[in-house]
Amino acid sequence: MYGGGYVPAGADEPKASAESPELLAQFEARIARGEKIEPRDWMPAAYRKQLIRMIEQHAHSEIIGALPEGTWITRAPGFRRKLALMAKVQDEVGHAQLLYSAAETLGKSREDMLNDLINGKSKYSNVFNYPAETWADVAVIGFLIDAAAIVNQVANSKGSYGPYCRALERICYEESFHLKQGHSVFVWLATGTTMQREMLQSALNRWWEPIMHFFGPSDTMSQHTETLMRWKVKMASNDVMRQQFLNMYVPKIWELGLSLPDPELRKDESTGQWLFTEPNWDTFFQVINGNGPCNRERLAVRKVAEERGAWVRAALRRADARYATPLA
Amino acid sequence: MTFSIPSNPLPRYLLQIADDQLVMGHRNSEWTGLGPILEEDIAFSSIAQDQVGHSLAFYEILHQTYGLDNPDQTAFNRPENGMLSSWLVEQTIGDYAFSLVRHWCYDQAVALRYESLAQIQDSNLQALAIKLRGEVKYHTFHAQTWMKSLLQGSEESRLRMLSALKEVWPLALGMFEAWPGETDLMREPGSQGHPWYPGEKNLQDLWQTRALESLASWGVEVEALGLQRMEPVLGGRQGYHSEHLAPLLEEMTAVFRLDPQAEW
Amino acid sequence: MPILSLDPRVNRLQAEEVPADQAPVLVPGDHWPSYQVFHQRRRGEKHSSVGIVHAPSLEIAMAMAKEQFARRGETSNLWVVCTADVLEMDYADEDVFRTTPAKSYRDPAGYKVNDKIEAYKAQQTTLR
Repeated sequence: MYGGGYVPAGADEPKASAESPELLAQFEARIARGEKIEPRDWMPAAYRKQLIRMIEQHAHSEIIGALPEGTWITRAPGFRRKLALMAKVQDEVGHAQLLYSAAETLGKSREDMLNDLINGKSKYSNVFNYPAETWADVAVIGFLIDAAAIVNQVANSKGSYGPYCRALERICYEESFHLKQGHSVFVWLATGTTMQREMLQSALNRWWEPIMHFFGPSDTMSQHTETLMRWKVKMASNDVMRQQFLNMYVPKIWELGLSLPDPELRKDESTGQWLFTEPNWDTFFQVINGNGPCNRERLAVRKVAEERGAWVRAALRRADARYATPLA
Repeated sequence: MTFSIPSNPLPRYLLQIADDQLVMGHRNSEWTGLGPILEEDIAFSSIAQDQVGHSLAFYEILHQTYGLDNPDQTAFNRPENGMLSSWLVEQTIGDYAFSLVRHWCYDQAVALRYESLAQIQDSNLQALAIKLRGEVKYHTFHAQTWMKSLLQGSEESRLRMLSALKEVWPLALGMFEAWPGETDLMREPGSQGHPWYPGEKNLQDLWQTRALESLASWGVEVEALGLQRMEPVLGGRQGYHSEHLAPLLEEMTAVFRLDPQAEW
Repeated sequence: MPILSLDPRVNRLQAEEVPADQAPVLVPGDHWPSYQVFHQRRRGEKHSSVGIVHAPSLEIAMAMAKEQFARRGETSNLWVVCTADVLEMDYADEDVFRTTPAKSYRDPAGYKVNDKIEAYKAQQTTLR
């Protein structure tokens, strides 16, 4: 789940490489033909770096994303919801594992990635810096954020890097269960008692801005973005994905008679485009840079989990263990 | 909420099993996302799901055949003194050593219970026991693998595991607490003719023999630990619980009790 | 000061905020080496490469592979092998395979006899 979502680029963005123009041409031709790049292929340093960053952040989004919904496992109402939520959050951890593995093929170790998560250097999808305050938040996250993530993942699954595509194929398959489960909780609450409906509406009101932030601001068509699209690292513009999401899911919210806290939100039938109030991007940058309600908590929990498990891992670590960059 | 503990031995026995599995699965699910390594996090979560699934299967039979309320009501709307789970399963998760040792002690006992239940005459229960026994086979394999690995891993892991063992053992013995109706159930003939239920004392003896053998084979000096001299922690099977169950139930039922009649 | 959360599970952890100067928590190799996993859906089918697990041994790798790669759908068998034992071919040498598809003498499609047979039959008919 949790498909990465938009994370703003860092200051040290890769510049055009001074590497062999011949190899670069072959590399780009391969991608243009629709072929995949495999781990030991020659690749520009910028491509490698960008992919590591993207896949790593996606992995972090999964393991951190397991926390807001994980909050509610012990409080899930009834067996069906309890079992489904346990399975779903387990899948998130599983997806993190698949994604770290894909990133590892590019040469960054899992340990380095987790260290960078904990020390704040590597980011994750901003939507998880918000708290899941009520059971209805689980419905909103499970339905709408999974939906947004799927839009992202389906786009990325057609990208150029073999291991990432293969991981995404598996993830997309499992996501279809998550989406159904999330939608189910959502519908049951929407069509339930007044208390349930109000809980859901309240959660929707709170989560709508983070959801609108999910795909990031409109892309500035820089040289950088253009290169990433030519290399099939970035597969679709933020705007295109956001429109896809709105088009598929706003009707599903409205058909249940629920409202969204944006009076401008509507589809322009003549253009087919959805119109909406531009979300506040200052808020987004504030939150992703550490000032959200849950940033500190998320990383503190991750750190504690790693630290408290250290003795288990150390106990079985062997001096003669043979490490190698994984194939995936 | 009112609840009557079944007076007949068999449904009461099944309720004990169901309650143990529910609380154990619930506790084990607290590790999801917090495990010592991703791969083990995933494995432990499967075990927790199996356990909750097992409890559901038993509550379903209790509902269909023995007149208890539906599983959601039975599990999510019961007072503390109506719960028949052992003190072992309601303890907080502690560190991974505690949870692993508990997992090993607990699932070894469940395997024995299901083994005996597989001899019951009632075909539905027999079929269920056989099905669930297959899942527990993985649980016990998992537990044994980790017990052995960490008892023989590093000095630190060995000490942590031994310390956990001393803490868990008296609680584990409490799984075999005597309960009303036990002797009656021991007289019931099974599918093979002889009684299918050996009674708690016999189950405990078998469990303990196997556990001590395994520990010895992993290099544990059981004598020095004094396990055989430990007293069981009792109360669970009579509906009397430690200070941990009430907060657990409070948390587990918090959303459900917002409206127990609503559909979630 | 432990962080307070809306999540009771997190509060039980008593987790402290990560300091600004946090040193690396994980040492190199902390998460164990990797093992490649091969999955067979049904008897008779091939085992396919499905990914990796990090594990301290083959036995534990197998236990983990069961969880990560056999949680859904059908599985009848799994193999695990230490990544370090796998010899990978270099993609740079991919060119050695380039002419293979054109080696028609290795291919059933490279042997067309119908024209010859038809020509012979036609010739025989003419002679008669």
